[in-house]
Amino acid sequence: MNIRKFITPRSLGLVVLGVLAALPAFANNYWLFVGNLTLVYIALTVGLNLLIGYSGLLAFMNGTLFGVGAYATAIFRVDFSWSYGLAIPLAAVLTMVIGVIVALPALRLSGLYLALATVAFAQFILWVLLHWDRVTRGPSGIQVPQVDYAPLTDSFEHGHYYVTLVVACIIVWLTANLLRSRYGRAFVAVRESEVAAESIGIDLTRYKTLAYAVSALYAGLAGGLFAPLLGIVVPESFDLSQVIVQFAMVTVGGLGSIAGSVIGAIGLVWLQEFLRAFKELQEVAFGGMILLTILFFPGGISAMLKHWFPGWREPLRRRFLDQ
Amino acid sequence: MLPYLLISGLTSGALYAMVAIGLVVVYRSTGHINFAHGELFMIGGFLAYSMITMLGFPYLLSLVLAVPLSFCLGVICDRVVFRPLMNAPGTTLVLATVGLSYLLKGVGRYIWGGKGEYISIKAIVDPAPFLVWGMPVLPQQLIVFAAAMLCMMGFLAFFRWTIAGKMMQATAESAFASYLVGIRVERVYTWTWGVGAAVAGVAAVLMAPLTLLTPDIGSGLLIKAFAATILGGLGSMSGALVGGLLVGLCESLVGGYIDSSLQEVAAFIIIMIVLVFRPSGLFGAYGVRRA
Amino acid sequence: MSMIEVRGLTVAFGGLLALDHINLTVNPGEIRGIIGPNGAGKTTLLNMVSCISQPSSGDVLLDGQSILGWKPSKVASHGVKRTFQSSLLFKGMTVLENVMAGLHGQLKASPIAAALGLPSVWRDEREATRRAHATLEFVGMSQFAERDGGELSFGQQRIIEIARALVSEPRVLLLDEPAVGLSINRVAELDTLLRRIRDERGVTIIMIEHVLRLVMNVCDRITVLSSGKKIAEGGADEIIANSDVVEAYLGRALDASRQEP
Repeated sequence: MNIRKFITPRSLGLVVLGVLAALPAFANNYWLFVGNLTLVYIALTVGLNLLIGYSGLLAFMNGTLFGVGAYATAIFRVDFSWSYGLAIPLAAVLTMVIGVIVALPALRLSGLYLALATVAFAQFILWVLLHWDRVTRGPSGIQVPQVDYAPLTDSFEHGHYYVTLVVACIIVWLTANLLRSRYGRAFVAVRESEVAAESIGIDLTRYKTLAYAVSALYAGLAGGLFAPLLGIVVPESFDLSQVIVQFAMVTVGGLGSIAGSVIGAIGLVWLQEFLRAFKELQEVAFGGMILLTILFFPGGISAMLKHWFPGWREPLRRRFLDQ
Repeated sequence: MLPYLLISGLTSGALYAMVAIGLVVVYRSTGHINFAHGELFMIGGFLAYSMITMLGFPYLLSLVLAVPLSFCLGVICDRVVFRPLMNAPGTTLVLATVGLSYLLKGVGRYIWGGKGEYISIKAIVDPAPFLVWGMPVLPQQLIVFAAAMLCMMGFLAFFRWTIAGKMMQATAESAFASYLVGIRVERVYTWTWGVGAAVAGVAAVLMAPLTLLTPDIGSGLLIKAFAATILGGLGSMSGALVGGLLVGLCESLVGGYIDSSLQEVAAFIIIMIVLVFRPSGLFGAYGVRRA
Repeated sequence: MSMIEVRGLTVAFGGLLALDHINLTVNPGEIRGIIGPNGAGKTTLLNMVSCISQPSSGDVLLDGQSILGWKPSKVASHGVKRTFQSSLLFKGMTVLENVMAGLHGQLKASPIAAALGLPSVWRDEREATRRAHATLEFVGMSQFAERDGGELSFGQQRIIEIARALVSEPRVLLLDEPAVGLSINRVAELDTLLRRIRDERGVTIIMIEHVLRLVMNVCDRITVLSSGKKIAEGGADEIIANSDVVEAYLGRALDASRQEP
């Protein structure tokens, strides 16, 4: 029996899901934290891959929007005293709105100019987070309480982990669905040739905006879930090195592949944690991985899997048994 | 107050201009922006630091040696990163140079982390400040300013009047056509990267006596250099100079008259405003590749 | 009522006139060839009709309606599809997905419906898959359905591009040098294909082409451009006999009086 054809994104995904779902049973609080962090990163990388990998829009804003989601959640929870159940979704929507507003002028820019503009924007927001003391409490950040998951569970770590797991799963499922439709084909068309995309009736503005909106929404959600996980939101969690980490995850996992985003997130979160004490090694490792992947394995791990396993396909359409 | 702000703005602007010129040289020839340019600056500066403090070389010698050392660093980057990806789409190269910048930053931090300090100049120039408009100016600041002007004029002349300069413009215009007329395109690229890095290295050595060298200095300077080139018009050498000076002045004036913390953010705002309203910058898009 | 009409179309780049007061009328169901030496303005003309750029003056009409100032995606959604000189097939997707992409404007599912996997998306996809398969069969490329776009040869890619343009059942097909990269056999197949597109699907075709044999065989009328001006228009026989056309392509014959003694 040829086992190779059973290795598909779906089957691997189910295995990963199984492991992740069972994690709380045999992990201590630290591993649970890392696992939870992985799920947050999955939400981030899926959105980033949609933007850079599928649509070809090289924007450096994902780390910043992640921060916006986290800060908005913190402010809603601490200053307005809303419950997390209200704060997180609203923060996510707010992040999406901000992401779209920023995207609108950026729509006219492409490639290099887009990269430069979004880098500048990211640094600008970081400065705002550091200096707008009245709202963001500056460098010391905002402390946020844990989420109260009673009566479901008394353990915050367990409760939060499962909530993030569900959210991450939903995000992966929604995005995978979206890509297996005319939207997925439209994103790739925009990336490959704007001229050809327009010639088949794709409105560039609309689809680019959609890509920005979706990735911003995911980043906002991720931020909202990240805030109580860490217990505090500080500006330095969301600086440019955050974006580099995300870039590394998407690049190593595979641009243009949802499975790649998940693989990259899982693979690199541990590395990041492991090297947390040695900032210089972190920088060398992540920068080096981006470079090595681009130079030697441009499609990332996902492309390698596609090469080895014929069943590893992420089509941009739905398959029907009778066609 | 105003003269002081003007002088400090012009001198920091001259530094930005020099860094921007190195960036533009590579862009003019290859059509790509090197996001690791700031780190080339940083490593050039630290190499000089090591030469001065550990090997005991005099300042001038270090300045002179910075040129070939940085040049080599630029060539290495070209061979390892740029050359294999020459024909890749623009976004791939941006990602690759971003990765490179992070890598170099980590290397810099590993080797020299936290060791940067004010390099003291010996002998050559009397470090005592003298008065311009009643405000104290360090001789070193004037040297940086003069160096930036010299650099820019040198490059302008180079591009306009020498064959090598024209070849570099040709390769940016169309690598394919350049091949056809016999230009050794890869060789031109390598030289360009070397020259760009050398300019960054020299700028670092010139600047070292004035500010603290840290591994993170590269990214901050890169953004200022971006602001300078975009303000002046991407691809324009004189634009980079004028842009750099303007960015320096803006920062200084904003910091002095409005709020000192706004100084850091002036560059970002300039970039965003220019790109949204007038992406071609002040001097228009000179030979700009489709970005 | 004409299908495509161009009136006094002028396109100026700086001081250069790419098109100089061009008038053109293409009737429904016609196959019109646009020929002329390089730099004549042929692709510019096609760009104006597909609204990739806008003319300096003049008007472009689709089925009697002015399309000046329209975005390319809007013209496309009104039934004008085109192919390009260099293959712009999407290499990141399979051939079938490429052709399905051509149906983009006609699928109706909203992003939310697509993300949730609602029945409307399944209906869309089923219909799109069926039509894409049918079109691939029409152009004779069914066997490549699951191959990645980048794996095909240049000539094959061009045919798939035509399929992608055709799947949405357009009214007008603009083809920019469809025969480039095709062998002689393939050109003959293209000849047949173009006729079938016109006869079986009622599509109006405007094609730029350098392969004169194809143009003479398949086009109902031919327009000749040179240096931005229209120098001749008519059936194949008229065009061949037209000395201006010959001169534009081959240059003027040497005057006997200018020969050296």
